[in-house]
Amino acid sequence: MGSDFLDDYFAECDEHLMGVRRLLLALEVSVGRAEINRTVLDELFRHFHTVKGISGMVELRAAEDLAHRLEDYLRALRRSEVTLTPEGVDALFDGTLMLEQVIAARRSGGTSPVVDAVARRIARLVGASPTGGSPAPESPGHVASPSSSMPRWRCVFVPSADLVARGIRVDTVRKRLESAGEILEALPLVTADGAIAFEFVLATALEETTLTAWRADGIAVERIADAAPAPADAAPPESTGSADSETSPSRSLAPSHFVRVDLTRLDDLMRNVGDLVISRARLTDTLSRVAQRIPAGDWRAIQENAITIDRQLRTLREGIMRVRLVPVGEIFRRMPFVVRDLARETGKRVRLELRGQGTEIDKFLIERMMDPVLHLVRNAVSHGIETVDERLAAGKRPEGTIVLSAATAGDIVRIDILDDGSGIDPDAVMARARAAGLPVPQGTPDATTLLELICAPGFSTRDESDRASGRGVGMSVVQSAVGELSGSMRLETEKGTGTRFVIELPVTLAITDALIAEVGGETFAVPQSSVREVVEVPIASLLQVERNEVMPYRGAALPVVRLSRLFGLPDTTRDRLHLFVVGVGAAALGIAVDRITGQREIVVRAIADSLARVEGISGATDLGDGHVVLILDPATLARQARERPDRPVAARRASA
Amino acid sequence: MSRVDTPPGSASYILFTVAGTTYALSSGEVRHMEMIEGVTRVPNAPPFIDGVVFSRGQVVPVVNLRVRFGFERAALDLRSRLIVVQSGSRLIGLLVDAAREFVAIPRDAIQPPNDALAGMSGRYVEGIASMGDRLVLILNLERILNFAEVLAVGLAE
Repeated sequence: MGSDFLDDYFAECDEHLMGVRRLLLALEVSVGRAEINRTVLDELFRHFHTVKGISGMVELRAAEDLAHRLEDYLRALRRSEVTLTPEGVDALFDGTLMLEQVIAARRSGGTSPVVDAVARRIARLVGASPTGGSPAPESPGHVASPSSSMPRWRCVFVPSADLVARGIRVDTVRKRLESAGEILEALPLVTADGAIAFEFVLATALEETTLTAWRADGIAVERIADAAPAPADAAPPESTGSADSETSPSRSLAPSHFVRVDLTRLDDLMRNVGDLVISRARLTDTLSRVAQRIPAGDWRAIQENAITIDRQLRTLREGIMRVRLVPVGEIFRRMPFVVRDLARETGKRVRLELRGQGTEIDKFLIERMMDPVLHLVRNAVSHGIETVDERLAAGKRPEGTIVLSAATAGDIVRIDILDDGSGIDPDAVMARARAAGLPVPQGTPDATTLLELICAPGFSTRDESDRASGRGVGMSVVQSAVGELSGSMRLETEKGTGTRFVIELPVTLAITDALIAEVGGETFAVPQSSVREVVEVPIASLLQVERNEVMPYRGAALPVVRLSRLFGLPDTTRDRLHLFVVGVGAAALGIAVDRITGQREIVVRAIADSLARVEGISGATDLGDGHVVLILDPATLARQARERPDRPVAARRASA
Repeated sequence: MSRVDTPPGSASYILFTVAGTTYALSSGEVRHMEMIEGVTRVPNAPPFIDGVVFSRGQVVPVVNLRVRFGFERAALDLRSRLIVVQSGSRLIGLLVDAAREFVAIPRDAIQPPNDALAGMSGRYVEGIASMGDRLVLILNLERILNFAEVLAVGLAE
């Protein structure tokens, strides 16, 4: 094994262990919490995983074993199998220190320390999460070293052919720096003109003149201002500021592992994949036309290839989608400030809890959801949480709580905005709706009806808190924003106890699985995520109740709306219909189409212009023939149908 | 969109016909022109919207200018064209009977519209140019689109 190879190994280990040390500092603030910043865990895991791998390659078994144990512990943490304890953090620090010592011993040719005790300690953490126990002694390695008092210098080395000819390479530079002082940081860089460079931060007592003389050897040296390095830059955790403390570690991640990408470039890439998906569909169509003329053996081979391409396309598409994912914490981050300001303005006491900031959703969704979530949080402070006096009179704690949480389930991300305030008063909503001239249902409205009323355009409240909560964005805008993203919104509220808004959105938008349906000779696509069930029913089994059709479904009556009538298309001439069941409980509805002809992956394209944007259509797609197929938005259709079951908008019966 | 060489004192236009009348749009407003087949109807859209088509990967609404100007809708044929215009960030397709040529129209050949100019299209006419023995109505794109907007909102309610 060449020494160059070992040099590479040491350099790579340095980089990974440096990353580990920073991340461990960031991790320390998470002790005892149920939720730990995933990015930190993922990065740590990756570092140890790599060190394990490369240590195996240079046959440094002690390092490989130790890194392996550390990796195991992090895996358990990532899977939430164990909770991060103070002992756990200590073991991670000690394990890392030991790992450094083992690697340093190999580098200097010295004797390797014995790793067994530390390795066993880490292994025990994985098996059972010990509670209590005596705190491990402070390990000596990660506290301030003597060199921290020395001046720090930034040394940038740009390798070149000339320098190599003189025997000056990055490993010789590194040795020179090491003999001069202590290397605090080492980072590979790419210079403006695309060359590779290395940046070292060196703590040394040497004179400036000595250091500047290195310039002749391609090492540029610059004094770093004497600011404290402040490694623990994570803000101390506080109840309203957990977003701050959890997001800050990302700043200290090794920058060389991240690439900034312009979103439009990703969009281009996504569009290319979309085109590929369409071309693939086109190929399937062509193949099925010529299938008869192809010998069976060849046909099988073609089919196998086609399946492989499908799988690879899916992987490619998912890979690009993952790149687009960002933590929902970007939305949440602003909320503590908003709540603090608004609480002060209204004289209320409000505590904001943020949960699940690590939940990842498409960047596009983040941008579109910022204002709606902001609006709901403002509403919760202005309309939900009561004043301190009111709360005390109601026997509640003086301080109100708002919980903003995000979680993913399959392809759906769910955002909850929950407050323990006064709840929504149905009578007040009804009165206001009547005053606004909105159609108001008889009897006590259920939560679904309440939500529809407060989301109706024109239902904007005109009291003082409006200025604070409204900001010109009414609930109708919140609902349409959710609808445009193929999402849905739900309300749960109990007078005196509190209110919960639930927003459910697809995690990603661009490509989705859809059912293809025919109605009155036209083709539509229906996102599968919004369909609970598909049933086929004889038209004769539909019951007419006043002006609505219903069908018996799971022991209840399911209202049915025929898409042909909603869209002004001819009714089917067959005697059976296909129904999409959407929504749950009182909001469940069957949307009837003539028939479902297939199921496939579709590329969703936005309908950007308002001239062609109509309710009930969320976008458009291309099934391979270049023609537009409209994508239905079942949630909006259901709402439309409930609002005017007897009055489908008469579509134009164009002569064209 | 490529432009013709425009002599000084004149501007480049695209000429097209709707129901026998020749109209012009400033070529700077036109992104491209295409043959048209298979427009997808959009349920409950305003009457003058034939539907949507894909134009270079984007979903573009098709405004039927015959209907917009108060004429009967006509079947699509080989001469039918979709003129894709750009207004701000919007892309809109105008369906016309035929689109023929780029021309340079000298500014001094353009007269302001006559008050007596009858018909729906009169409202969108910015000027009238006489080119030899024919008259060309120069359209104001903003006005066509804005009016379409107003109508769309009215219908939606």
